[in-house]
Amino acid sequence: MANDPNRCAELAESLAEVATGAASGPDRARVLDHLSECDDCRAELERLSRVADEVLLLAPSHEPPAGFESAVLERIAGSDDAGPEGTGPDDGSGAGSDDGHAGGEPADGTRRHWVRGLVLAAAAAVIGLAGAGIVWQTTSDERELAEGYRKTLDIADGQYFSAAPVRDASGEQVGHVFLYQGEPSWVFAVLGDAPAPGVYDVRVATDDWTGDVASCDVEAKTGGAGGTINADIYQVREVRLVAPDTPPLIATLPDRSGE
Amino acid sequence: MSDEALLAGMATGDADAMAGFVRRHQARVYGLALSVVGVPAVAEEVAQEAFVRAWRHAGNYDPRRAQASTWLLTITRNVAIDVVRVRRELATDPVAVAEMMTTAASDGDRVEDCDRVAAALRELPSEQATAVLLSVHFGLTAREIGERQGVPLGTAKTRIRTGLSRLRTMLEVSHGE
Repeated sequence: MANDPNRCAELAESLAEVATGAASGPDRARVLDHLSECDDCRAELERLSRVADEVLLLAPSHEPPAGFESAVLERIAGSDDAGPEGTGPDDGSGAGSDDGHAGGEPADGTRRHWVRGLVLAAAAAVIGLAGAGIVWQTTSDERELAEGYRKTLDIADGQYFSAAPVRDASGEQVGHVFLYQGEPSWVFAVLGDAPAPGVYDVRVATDDWTGDVASCDVEAKTGGAGGTINADIYQVREVRLVAPDTPPLIATLPDRSGE
Repeated sequence: MSDEALLAGMATGDADAMAGFVRRHQARVYGLALSVVGVPAVAEEVAQEAFVRAWRHAGNYDPRRAQASTWLLTITRNVAIDVVRVRRELATDPVAVAEMMTTAASDGDRVEDCDRVAAALRELPSEQATAVLLSVHFGLTAREIGERQGVPLGTAKTRIRTGLSRLRTMLEVSHGE
């Protein structure tokens, strides 16, 4: 894929923070958007991430109190945690098998958990945006989601992930949309500079279908929301954020139907 | 038995494999949790939650992507960071902990497989080493690191990037020996 050296240089420092897992939401969004079209930066992120992984191993070692092992085993014997849930992008590490459908159709339990993870991630993002102003409060769910993006890009060379800027009527960028190909696929919209507060419907359009998948509650200028779609992400042509008395905010997706 | 074999057992619901996995990694997981949250009782909760997540998602682990210990410690760190962000009264002084972690005196608390990265970290200017540790272990953003180190955001970002890049160079040289 074609690289833009200027863009690579602009994002070099944020790339390191994505590697350590500590990037703020907006920084992470910018990097992930760029990674979908830059092989060099994806490779650099992979190298830096391996270094960060090694640094994590420096954690001091201390024996926990007596009874720790028993306490863990009692917890997993509880009804909610009684069985492993198989594959999915939300283990908390980003080191899993990241393509939600690489192993075939997931079991119902896996699908439930995947959807639950999405809802948690969306909720975490929205709560964080509301609570922290323009600073996107990162939570483990949100980090898991972001790690899922990155690993998916690594494995699938970008084909299972797509992103596009959201622009207002004058063409100014006011946010991002992210699309993930999975079981189910989903769309997530993040506004960082919305023209007006309010509730924006996240309206997804393919050639054959248009529907609202989420409501994005914008306080001040920021907000985020997402939902699942019954379509492959390459079919999505456009995502609109629609609010009363406000011109629609529009993200136009690249045409990948021929890939 | 290897970590991969234990995780494969856990993925099929084998509680014995889980017990073995906990015994093998509990000191490291608890140690990381304690270094981030600073309170033993809370660290124990964090460590338990990390293992529960590992159990739930054992089938998700991909050895091509990371060592099992790295995978588990990443889960632990993320749980610990969430706890600290919600319960700010828990926070230790991350800068002090990070600086302590770069000293040779703390080597005895570590497992042997990280001697190489510990040595590389000590080769960095201390402000870069601390910035990297604050980012990796404590999940602090560049803005937060800048505030704690008393430097502008751009300087904090540069410290993280330069520190990580230098570590990469040093570790690549070390790998090649």
